[in-house]
Formats: sequence, structure tokens, C-alpha cells
Amino acid sequence: MKKIGGVIISHGQVANELLAAAETVVGELKHITAVSIGWHDDVETAKNEVARAIKKVSDGSGVLLLTDMFGGTPTNISAMFLEQNDVEIITGVNLPMVIKIASQNKEMTLSEMSQAVESQGKQAIYRASELLMPQKLKKDA
Amino acid sequence: MLKGKVAVINRLGLHARAAAQLVRLASGFQSKIKLIRKDNSVIADAKSILNVLTLAASKGVDLEIEVEGEDEQAAFEAVQKIFKNGFGEL
Repeated sequence: MKKIGGVIISHGQVANELLAAAETVVGELKHITAVSIGWHDDVETAKNEVARAIKKVSDGSGVLLLTDMFGGTPTNISAMFLEQNDVEIITGVNLPMVIKIASQNKEMTLSEMSQAVESQGKQAIYRASELLMPQKLKKDA
Repeated sequence: MLKGKVAVINRLGLHARAAAQLVRLASGFQSKIKLIRKDNSVIADAKSILNVLTLAASKGVDLEIEVEGEDEQAAFEAVQKIFKNGFGEL
């Protein structure tokens, strides 16, 4: 089965650690990789690394770049690849988004996958007491 | 369709790695497998890890299971067994 590839891109080591956490949960992930952009890396070096990462996880069905924050360098560098038809970017990466890309069980287009990952990332943010202690919230109100 | 109950008995509850184990097991069957937590009316597809995690099932929580499909008997028994074994953490 063809899978949409994923590249997690962040400042510092966040990207590597998110990937490591996802792999601990669901097992080895050959179609996802991580790029850490050093605080002092120059743009060309970082761009080359992202290009290499895209190539590594691409099987022709498209690659989703998951970046840490809109407006940050990882996103801005990723944006240089947006002209490629087979690349899409979702910002604000969290662990559930990585797990969403990890657990593809049917073939999807890049655009379908992008929408799924975006909405998964948003849905997966909870004020935990809403789920675990709804009575506490009632008291607050 | 088969219906039954399972209890979460392992100390850490249905945490991420346990949920991943359950999803791997469930995905091996063709049947639809639903986990239902009655006390907060959350229903999860046992083949989706992110769904299963929303059950927030800690130790001591009872869940209902509903299994429907050609291999429902085998799936039902396998799911009951993995809960009974405490996801290998006992």
C-alpha cells in the first residue's frame, strides 16, 4: 500500500523526540522522518536537509511537512517546497498528528490526509478535566 | 453482533502503548469493534488509537464491547483476552 510520507521539522530536538515518542507507541515508522533545524544553521543547509528528508519518505503519493509553529524558520523553510505539487504543510505539530500519519490504513490523497491531520491535531487538544472530571468544571461555573 | 463487558485491570490503564496493542489486535479482524464507556458516553472504534485514547479508561473502569462481522466470535474473544491479561503488564 502507498503511504503519504511525513517530515517533522522543528527548532531544536523537538522533531526527533516527537518521532521517537510516536515510534514507542506504534512501532517503527519508515515513512516518517524528522529534521531538527539548529538555532544557528544557515538557510541553505537547512533547506537541503529538508529536501533530503522529503526524498527519503516519498513513495510518489505525497509528503506532509509537520512544522512546530507558523511563522517560525522551520515553517518558512518548508514553505520553499510548497510549489511542489506533492508537498503540503501543517503547522503546530503535536503527537496525535504524528500518530495520525503513522496509522494510515487506507490509501488517501495528500489533500485528504492534510485535512485529516489538521483536524486531528485540533481535536486532540482537550482541557483534560472536561473528560476526566466534568463535575469539577460544573463547580467552577 | 456480540456484546459484552471488559474491565481495565492494569495499573496504568488504557494508556498509549496499551491502546496501540489493542488497535493492532483489532485491526487483524474484519469485524467492527466498538468500545463504549457508559459513564461518560464515549464510544471508540477499537481500530483507531486516537479514538481509543479518548475513552480515558484508567484502572478500574468498565467498558462495554460490541463486535459485529464475519469473524466476530474470534475478535470478541481476543479483545476480552487482552483486557484480562492486562496488556501483558500484570
